[in-house]
Amino acid sequence: MRSYQSVLILKPDLEESRVDEALAKIGEFIKSNGGAILKTEKWGKKRLAYRVKKNRFGVYLNIYHTLEPSGVVDLEKKYKLFDLIIKFMVVLLADDELERALGREEEVEGEKAAATEDTKDTKDKKDNDE
Amino acid sequence: MAETTKKRSFFSQKICRFCNDDDSKVYIDFFDIKALKPLISERGKIVPSRISGNCAKCQRLLTRAIKKARNIALLPFSVQH
Repeated sequence: MRSYQSVLILKPDLEESRVDEALAKIGEFIKSNGGAILKTEKWGKKRLAYRVKKNRFGVYLNIYHTLEPSGVVDLEKKYKLFDLIIKFMVVLLADDELERALGREEEVEGEKAAATEDTKDTKDKKDNDE
Repeated sequence: MAETTKKRSFFSQKICRFCNDDDSKVYIDFFDIKALKPLISERGKIVPSRISGNCAKCQRLLTRAIKKARNIALLPFSVQH
């Protein structure tokens, strides 16, 4: 059993309840591959540095979990097939990195950023239309 | 000679901005955009340690962190003009 960090980007126009649903489903994916969730962080809606599947924004989720090394490929496959996820990355964590991550308090920064970016969102929609 | 002093004045720091005073292990998180942003150029390129003044070890960790951040759309691969 090793520890991993999954960073997922969900579609930007999801409501909070849909995000939680997705999170529950992702939890099942991880469990079915012999892992367990250690910590989840919602970074909220963020502006993407480049367009991903024509989206300029995305809802970020960060999950620390354990997993059987043989299950990584299968988990990635499931992420890929899950239609709400537009991009994902699974990173292997060393023990000290995990300890550090679990000790860190969740920052409130994400919420603030989401609030300011919502105003930008309307502007970007115009850009998309062009 | 004048040129070098000019350069130095622009990037005045010649000390590694990640190394701790007490020799404890350095961590550079790929999602800590605040820490990474000053170390990429306007074009999205990684700033060389020659200019930023980072030590070699931290620069290696930094490039890895930046490349991970690029993969997950936190930092740009390139910025179009």
